[in-house]
Amino acid sequence: MPGRQLIMNFPVTATSHTLADYVARGGYQALAKALAMTPQDITREVVASGLLGHGGAAFPVGRKWGVVKLDDGQPHFLCTNADEGEPGTFKDRWILEHAPHLLLESMLIAARALQVRNCFVYMRGEFDLPYRRLAAAIEEAYAGGYFGEKVCGSDFACDIVIIRGAGSYVCGEASGLLSSVEGKRGYPRNRPPRLTVKGLFQRPTVVNNVETLSNVAGIIRDGAEAFKQLGKPKCPGTQLVSISGHIEKPGVYEVEYGYPLQKFLFDDCGGITGGKKLKCIIPGGISTKVLTAAECEPLTYDKESLEKAGSSLGSGGMIVIAEDTCMVRLLQVMLRFYHHESCGQCTPCREGMGWMHKIIDRIVAGDGRREDIDRLYAISALNDGTTICGMGDAAGYATVGILNKYRDEFEYFIEHKRSKLGGNLEAVHA
Amino acid sequence: MPEIFINGQSVQAEDDETVLQAALRTGHYIPYFCWHKSLSIAGNCRLCVVQPEGKNWVEIACNMPVSEGMRVLTDSDIVKKNRKATLQFITLNHPVDCGICDKAGECTLQDYHFEYNGERSISDVPKVKSTKYVELSERIVLDNERCILCSRCVRFTREISKSNALGIKQRGDESLLRAVEDGALDRDAYSDNVVDICPVGALLSKPFLHKARVWYLKPTRSVCPSCSRGCAIDIWHRKPEWKLRNLDPKENTAIARVTPHDNPEVNGPWICNKGRDLAQIFERARADGAMLKGKPVELSAAIEMARRLIDGARQRVAIVSSWGSNEELAAAKEALAGRFATFFKADRVAEEGEPLQDDLLLRADKNPNTTAARTTFGDASAAAPTFPADTDLVLVWGEGFDFARLPAKARIIFLGSYLAPENGHADVFIPISIQTERAGHYTNFAGVVSGFEPCFAKAPSVAHAEAVFASLAGGPRS
Repeated sequence: MPGRQLIMNFPVTATSHTLADYVARGGYQALAKALAMTPQDITREVVASGLLGHGGAAFPVGRKWGVVKLDDGQPHFLCTNADEGEPGTFKDRWILEHAPHLLLESMLIAARALQVRNCFVYMRGEFDLPYRRLAAAIEEAYAGGYFGEKVCGSDFACDIVIIRGAGSYVCGEASGLLSSVEGKRGYPRNRPPRLTVKGLFQRPTVVNNVETLSNVAGIIRDGAEAFKQLGKPKCPGTQLVSISGHIEKPGVYEVEYGYPLQKFLFDDCGGITGGKKLKCIIPGGISTKVLTAAECEPLTYDKESLEKAGSSLGSGGMIVIAEDTCMVRLLQVMLRFYHHESCGQCTPCREGMGWMHKIIDRIVAGDGRREDIDRLYAISALNDGTTICGMGDAAGYATVGILNKYRDEFEYFIEHKRSKLGGNLEAVHA
Repeated sequence: MPEIFINGQSVQAEDDETVLQAALRTGHYIPYFCWHKSLSIAGNCRLCVVQPEGKNWVEIACNMPVSEGMRVLTDSDIVKKNRKATLQFITLNHPVDCGICDKAGECTLQDYHFEYNGERSISDVPKVKSTKYVELSERIVLDNERCILCSRCVRFTREISKSNALGIKQRGDESLLRAVEDGALDRDAYSDNVVDICPVGALLSKPFLHKARVWYLKPTRSVCPSCSRGCAIDIWHRKPEWKLRNLDPKENTAIARVTPHDNPEVNGPWICNKGRDLAQIFERARADGAMLKGKPVELSAAIEMARRLIDGARQRVAIVSSWGSNEELAAAKEALAGRFATFFKADRVAEEGEPLQDDLLLRADKNPNTTAARTTFGDASAAAPTFPADTDLVLVWGEGFDFARLPAKARIIFLGSYLAPENGHADVFIPISIQTERAGHYTNFAGVVSGFEPCFAKAPSVAHAEAVFASLAGGPRS
């Protein structure tokens, strides 16, 4: 494993996801500790840990929590974002399947810190085993006295409900998620107001990613200082990386921040399929900018390093792309996705995604025009910061990222009406 | 009262305003599609962008609360560029079929395109095809290709009319406005307002469909007589300069459509569907000649006869109209006072199935001026009139009174506007003008007085009730 582990630190067995096994390996001790702490102390500990969000934006968790005013006399809500929909990302699924109690314990601690009576888990509708595992874990937790009127016999009361999505990418955006929980169309909302001021049912709401929350139990149990021992000072802890694409050993790996990227790719993950050369990686779900092999070389896997290289951690969904892969067709796949998933609420994204998709389709069909590349740039630019949620921006980043670095492939495709690299998306075996 | 700066000019904003509201109120126009002053903020059209001074990005003004010292630019290069882009995005899949669109001439998209874009579409990809002529209700048709998905109509049915009749299905550029179920919009007594608030020609009124180009029409301020709310309306009819001789004369004096005229004190920007159907009331067959016992006579002869009958009667009763204007009621009072026992009547009662009353606008009293009729003539209602025993003359003004209830031997003077069997039964029938032919005022149920203007000239053979009452007044003849 690349570096030290916080979450994947136990052997997966047939029963490792159950309450008994979780308690046996020290589970729910953090909750007991948290129940003896004041809510303010819990938040202070999380702030001190420097934990960043693992959903994509890497926003400091403590800062998000700090906005919620504990004494404002209104109900607060906690919502776990388990609508893991960023292409290339399947790390939350690991937690939900193998460590559901870690999430539940962390949610209880967060609920305690934020004075939340009702917690929600908004789960991707396509998740089957994760749903069954989490639902079973919730039943166990209720039976074990961890949820309900008296959590572990204390005066703290907390309930939890799983809400399942219906297959929309945009519902993974925090405010779209809350609209969906409310039973409305999963349209993201305009800010202001922030969700921590007016979120679910117009009440202060904290929405955190599954993996983000799952770190909380460890932080409370071992203390913020212990957590900060891992990773980098500005980016402490670990990241579950779901690596896929042209890689020998795809899967979910827990990577300690600061771990060398090359080492991770070639030692831990076994290198590129069929011994090929690396062309580029998409480091954190398709909405992050692509990094060429040369750019990857000096990098370590952490926020600072990736941002310096012009990309970001994203959601940890790393896609590895081998040489001989056609970037035009890759972009086509990505734009088809964005077109299909645009919710259609605000103008630039609704119209722009379809426009870009049609242009790239035209290029791939051999009808590309010389001005098409500039048009893709222009549409991306006009989606940057002009939409309600981040989806328009994300599609733009992804497009610009690929166009900047592989413009020659697009020009070749337009001029010769065929791919420079045979149009392959699969790694071609020699 | 925070002070903000729009394009460098100081503006006193209200505490709970947004930048868009403050800007519009102080004459700094910012274009917008989805925002509406009476609806919640959707922020989806992305047209009302402004640039925070010193920043290199834009934000939408409709969702930007004002704060002390805030500085925004509404006309900077980046704002212009973004607006232009948004208009390009919107016309990307809009059919631009203005030539056959009823909204042309009063279409926000059209206006903004000329004002803020002015360029041809830069797109050369095929447009998204969608459904056209979707009958959302008996009254409204929808063209999904023209729809820009601003969601004003959806918000209207959720927040104002509360019918929840409309929603958006599918997603992305295939999003479709639809009624949530068949007939949902038919059950909305205010549904036609969505046609007015639609910034483009997606929602169209079926009765008005392809009836007129709006630039041939002109609005005349009026008051809706359909109930005692007295909503401010505009009655649209052909402009005098566009009255063509080779058109059917009826076309030239027809009510083309009725739209609300925003009056925050009475109706805000809304009216009910009944108010849109004034043509059904005002364009019934008109009585245009005076009669004595069914025999046509000159108007002056009929008035002379009426005077004579009044002078000769001993016990006179008048049943006055609650559709008379304040001025007419005052003239009637002047003419009848002291000589007549008076009752006011409801000229119109709710038809079967007509919505009676709700929390938004509709009132159970389906007459515009019951308030003034009551204050002028007292509380005696003609619903249960008690005629004095020796009544020998009854003056009936307006519709809605059954002549069978009149004392058998009494002579009848009838002031009416429409063809009716009663006209011939009256001893004297005097045809009078209708609301669209005269000016006047109504007092609504809450005491708010609103005025209306004439849309058309009355026929020479028809009298204004005010003039009739003036000449029926007692005292020496001129």
